[in-house]
Amino acid sequence: MDAILLATQMVFQPDVLVTIVLAALFGLFVGSVPGLTATMATALLVPITFFMAPVAAIGAIVTCSAMAIFAGDIPGTLLRIPGTPASAAYTDEAYAMTRKGQGELALGANLLFSALGGLFGTAVLIVAAPSLAEVALQFSSFEYFWLACLGLTCATVVGTGSTIKGLVSLMIGLLVATIGLNNPAGVPRFTFGSVDLMGGIDFIAAMIGLFAVSEIFRYVLGMSPDTSNVQAPAGNLFTGWGRLFKQYWRQSLRGNVLGTAIGALPGAGADIAAWVSYAVSKRFSKTPEKFGTGHVEGIIESTSSNNAALGGAWVPALVFGIPGDSITAIVIGVLYLKGMNPGPTIFINNPQDIYAVFLIFILANIFMVPAGWAAIKSARLLMKVPRNVLMPTILLFCVVGSFAINNSVFGVSVMLFFGLLGFIMEENGFPIAPTILGIVLGPLLEENFVTSMIKSDGSFLGFFERPLAAGLGIITIAVWIVPLGLYLWRKARS
Amino acid sequence: MRINDAILGAVLLACSLAVGLYARTFPAIPGQEYGASVFPTWISIALGLCSAVLIAGGMRQWAETGAVSLASWARSGHHLRSLAITIALVVFYILASTPLGFIPTAFIALVILFGVLGVKPLLTPVLAAGITMVVHYGFYSLLRVPLPWGVLTPWAW
Repeated sequence: MDAILLATQMVFQPDVLVTIVLAALFGLFVGSVPGLTATMATALLVPITFFMAPVAAIGAIVTCSAMAIFAGDIPGTLLRIPGTPASAAYTDEAYAMTRKGQGELALGANLLFSALGGLFGTAVLIVAAPSLAEVALQFSSFEYFWLACLGLTCATVVGTGSTIKGLVSLMIGLLVATIGLNNPAGVPRFTFGSVDLMGGIDFIAAMIGLFAVSEIFRYVLGMSPDTSNVQAPAGNLFTGWGRLFKQYWRQSLRGNVLGTAIGALPGAGADIAAWVSYAVSKRFSKTPEKFGTGHVEGIIESTSSNNAALGGAWVPALVFGIPGDSITAIVIGVLYLKGMNPGPTIFINNPQDIYAVFLIFILANIFMVPAGWAAIKSARLLMKVPRNVLMPTILLFCVVGSFAINNSVFGVSVMLFFGLLGFIMEENGFPIAPTILGIVLGPLLEENFVTSMIKSDGSFLGFFERPLAAGLGIITIAVWIVPLGLYLWRKARS
Repeated sequence: MRINDAILGAVLLACSLAVGLYARTFPAIPGQEYGASVFPTWISIALGLCSAVLIAGGMRQWAETGAVSLASWARSGHHLRSLAITIALVVFYILASTPLGFIPTAFIALVILFGVLGVKPLLTPVLAAGITMVVHYGFYSLLRVPLPWGVLTPWAW
């Protein structure tokens, strides 16, 4: 109880509240400008959170990402351009509603069910995280090794696109993580005599490059969508909320449950949750023929799902330090920077920090309703932001942000390198998220592997001696072998 | 611009070989079998296997796609020039920000980039100056990031 009181005091500070409001506006802005993603919003925010107190920093990221995921629906509905990848699943549907003159209904439903989904994900986080943490307390380096493997495997297998390219992306990330002195042996690796490289590749600069700078390159090359013919919704957004809820509460609940579960799966986040939920909604609908013609049912289920996934993704992030998606991968980096090392012990030693995070989640999802309303009302303005001014400004922001981490231009060089790398990778169908997961999880994986090997005297059997480790190990290996087996089986039959 | 997977695979294979060979030079921890080289070696093996798969897949598609299929921007001189200038401006910042100082470097870079992206010429200097000063105020004065003053050192605040 004391911890909850303490957490309330920590959150209801003027500076924390102001930060949350500003981060919300920033998230809404970035989310609703097509071409700027929720992950990019988070990446741009990190250099600033670097200078904040821990609770304010986490609050800013939670609020910003929740708002950006919702705001991605706005240009999706009005222009048929998803503001963030998480909205892509139902963009066509929402745009069809706008063409039928039901834009307000679509956006109103998006707002209501996004907020509800976010609250549901938070509720699961509050219930599941502490009980999982008790299990996690019994974990040793063997279990953490398997968990990290499982997380990284899911990141490559679950994502859309080619698994082999996902694996390459992951290996690039893991390789980047080995650079520097930070390894169990303390040997300089891949530093080529450079003092800057001794400290390793800073993940913030790498992430700004991968998620923000590569996007700027795409804009400069004229690959950003045209946003000139926007239609702003005029009617009342809140009409019919009661009816929608009464009619579609089952879909909303199903979206919430599925979204939270997919979010909690390491490596799969809001975008995949939305795709799966849209498909599920169509499969179980009484009127599947209406899907694709501007029908609100699928939108409700998948918009519930993508916001619920955000809360779900925090479960493995807080309990095990294993990110659920690329946003939580960034969050884990920030938690370490702030001395709030994720893992089960934080639930025992600093429960107030955890409760503060929960509180911020609740606040952010409630604040989403008025802030989202304002964003929808000013949609025409937001979509007309002159991007030829905005993009250079973001680039300057990226440069200064990368500089600020160590106050050295080396960070800017890292940013540029990863910007180019991210651009080339995306052009050729390599997903970026596994790279950032590899950079964040690489050190954890290596440390736990080497520690385990030393403990078990170099015997691989040690990884299966403890029941928990054996269970996790078998699951992980099954995830490796089953898809491969299925592939070979299908090949043999055809 | 889509490069054939076989070419990308070959580049990655070369990388993984280089990493694997370089990792052999890492010193072992005395009395330990598992030292600094284990992890990079594993990564290089995994990356090598992935590149082999990429090469095999890319060879099969070679007849259809050729070595490189160009996106529309890759045939547009204007767009390629814009990209080259954007990258050059970041390099310019890396090299010039310390001797020249943040304010002049950022101002020059923004003016050029606005010009490339077609912002109205009259607006350009005003916007560039405004944005430079706002970013400077935010990071230098509020967040206390020691942005370099360079030639403006005598007037620093």
